[in-house]
Amino acid sequence: MNLTIHPLIVLLFFPGGLFLLASGLVFQWADRKLVARFQNRVGPRFLQPLADMLKLLAKEEIIPAGAHRGLFIALPIIALASALTAALYVPMFGVQPFFSFQGDLIVTIYLLSALTISLGLAGANSVDRFSLVGATRTLTQLFSYEAPFLLAMIGPALAAQSWQISKINAFAGETTWFIVAQPIGFLVALVGLMGKLELPPFDAPEAETEIVAGALTEYSGRGFALFRLAKDIELVIGLTLVAAFYLGGVSNPLEFLLKTGGLLLVMALLQTAFARLRIDQTVGLWWRVGALMGLVQILAILAGIYIRQWWL
Amino acid sequence: MTFEPQGENRFIVPIGPQHPALKEPGHFEFVVDGEIVTGASVRLGYVHRGIEKGAEDRTWTQNLYLMERICGICSHIHATAFVQGVEKLAGVEAPPRARAIREIFAELERIHSHMLWLGVAAHEGGFDALFMYSWRDREVVMDMLEMLSGNRVHYSANLIGGVKYDIPLEMMDKIREGLNYLEERLLHYLDVVNNDETFIGRTRGIGTMTREQAQLLGAVGPTARASNFAYDVRVDAPYAAYAEFPVEMVVAKEGDLHARFVVRILETMESIRVLRRIFDNMPESELVTRVPRRIPAGETISRVEAPRGELFYFIASNGGEKPERVKVRTPSLCNWGTVITLAVGHKLADMPMILAGIDPCFSCNDRLVMVKRNRQDPQVWTWADLRNYGIEYYR
Amino acid sequence: MSFGSMIEDLIKSLFKKPVTRKYPFERHPAPERFRGTLHWDPEKCTGCQLCVKDCPANAIELIVIDKVNKRFVMRYHQDRCIYCSQCVVSCRFKCLELSDEEWEQAVTEKQPLEVFYGKDEDIRFLLERAAAQPAETPCE
Repeated sequence: MNLTIHPLIVLLFFPGGLFLLASGLVFQWADRKLVARFQNRVGPRFLQPLADMLKLLAKEEIIPAGAHRGLFIALPIIALASALTAALYVPMFGVQPFFSFQGDLIVTIYLLSALTISLGLAGANSVDRFSLVGATRTLTQLFSYEAPFLLAMIGPALAAQSWQISKINAFAGETTWFIVAQPIGFLVALVGLMGKLELPPFDAPEAETEIVAGALTEYSGRGFALFRLAKDIELVIGLTLVAAFYLGGVSNPLEFLLKTGGLLLVMALLQTAFARLRIDQTVGLWWRVGALMGLVQILAILAGIYIRQWWL
Repeated sequence: MTFEPQGENRFIVPIGPQHPALKEPGHFEFVVDGEIVTGASVRLGYVHRGIEKGAEDRTWTQNLYLMERICGICSHIHATAFVQGVEKLAGVEAPPRARAIREIFAELERIHSHMLWLGVAAHEGGFDALFMYSWRDREVVMDMLEMLSGNRVHYSANLIGGVKYDIPLEMMDKIREGLNYLEERLLHYLDVVNNDETFIGRTRGIGTMTREQAQLLGAVGPTARASNFAYDVRVDAPYAAYAEFPVEMVVAKEGDLHARFVVRILETMESIRVLRRIFDNMPESELVTRVPRRIPAGETISRVEAPRGELFYFIASNGGEKPERVKVRTPSLCNWGTVITLAVGHKLADMPMILAGIDPCFSCNDRLVMVKRNRQDPQVWTWADLRNYGIEYYR
Repeated sequence: MSFGSMIEDLIKSLFKKPVTRKYPFERHPAPERFRGTLHWDPEKCTGCQLCVKDCPANAIELIVIDKVNKRFVMRYHQDRCIYCSQCVVSCRFKCLELSDEEWEQAVTEKQPLEVFYGKDEDIRFLLERAAAQPAETPCE
């Protein structure tokens, strides 16, 4: 869908800014509610994530002695900023992105990685054993999940012959769904997304029963609220990207809701179905299996492109 | 504790006293090199309540309820051990129906405790689905216990000389239905534990303890039985009605965390089988025998099999209305040594599961007070002394 | 060897109602043997005070107004009571019972938790006497 809105309104209200923050909260609610229903529980009420955010913003922020004060306060803001900026190039809510340009796929993925890196830095900055272990695990998981995820995103990019997300989105809308044409890529993308977002079973970096809250142990109040918001927005962006690339493009709000909703349902099921993998298991599994599968998929696509060129 | 790198990557991760992995406070320090644990130490005593001292101030009947509240999960078995010791001292034996009812409560408690443990250990491993479902099914046992005794924990079913509550036939039928449902669900959980790949990845080969180690460290209960060390007080020294309604010991050979899961689930199913047998052959008799208020002087020991292992009571009477000394040695106390020994060489992520694997019950544990201070007379402390010490310590 | 052996349970739960009981909007009645608040019948009491002696929490006090005519008032400290029902068993005349309907007893002050049981005139007599003297003399 193509809308003409003043850029400032885009940045502040729709589809960026406040609307994006609100949608992050809604997706967090949907995720928690689905996980709860799978576990035969009731789950939170609709306004629960908003209530959580408000409560956190009202809490006192305690900066541990020995941590670098400026970094401690700045890192949550950087994380939220990267998440909000990454959303500008993605077809959020079915609306064509306003600021897209050639090569913005790489920029978006880079910005999402910057979010995870700032999470790891926040953990390393806090002078606390749990945060250090959590930061180590976050960065380790970053290394092992970024590469396969990028490979999986490149698959449709190769097929669409473009590095611009809106063009890939449009291409995916016209041809057969890539989930059918590149099934291995879809699997890699889905698991990679869960690893990037640190969702169970890949939540070793913030394993509650082992290292309290991982990198975010020392954060409370405003910093924690901002990190949570950044992660929620990352969830929305990730879902939109995978839905846009593999589930036939997102061209209007109804398609957006249905496709991201369906993907969220599958992800919620995968979240509850497995025990948590240890960090060495996640890395071992995914660096070998995932990267390999991604490479195989890329080779298959390249082969397909050359064969078609040779035939036609 | 400030962070000071001490060469060779010596890095101490404290788990507890406040930690999401522990349901009760206890302090563990793991010396970590990267993710591998190279050393461990434990410190307990955070929930010490002075129960053994408090027991000397209360009459025998009042002590029954104090002993019950040592632990919430294994409350009935504590009361049973105490009551058995007192009855031995008094020279009476509880009537057959009372002993059968004691066994019924004990086995129902074992079912509830093992299901609780299954959920908690699954949660430590990040498997929240198993946690939620096993606790949902545990509600069936809790409802049965509430129907029998009026309370979900702390059933208070024992009296000195017998039991308080009788079990009429309608209740037995309802319990049988509940047991059928539980058995079906437990078979499903056994299947999950044995076959789920992610779960096996977290539990197989972790915390392996050989039989010699189990004997050396003095492990008890399902922790020891999972290492092929066949010892169960219900079989080796039957109490209550275990002579008439015996239980079969469940032993596993592998000795790792996975074996402990399997042993506990199979024990739960064995409890269900024994319960059905008791319901079919319930002896008829009265419920209480008369026991005098003053228990004759003497000393005795009383051993029972709590869900966590062997529970040991020493009771000394001087002929009065109040006990002279009650000493409790709980099973979890024996199993800590195994955790400390086994932790070395594993990854940090396995620590919570190894801790949970012995089914720790910190409230049961804190029978010890370690007081390291100069004082005049180190042998005898009165209630007032202890109280003063506590006030001074926290000032 | 299976991945996600609980998936069947999970998907079935999506179509079932959640198992949570939405207390306080849904209240299930307590079972018959539930141990709630203590109730005392003064008619049958003989003043043997076995219940007082056996209570682990010293929650029962029996105030003797007139021993010969069996006029007693029971002062029940509901905040100390642990609802163990030992007193119910100790009483040989079945004067005591634990209710199975009164169990939502949370209050915000201590006053409602000191309950006096007895015949009305006995309680009035007691309160008048307490008002006249500065301190009453309960037995044990």
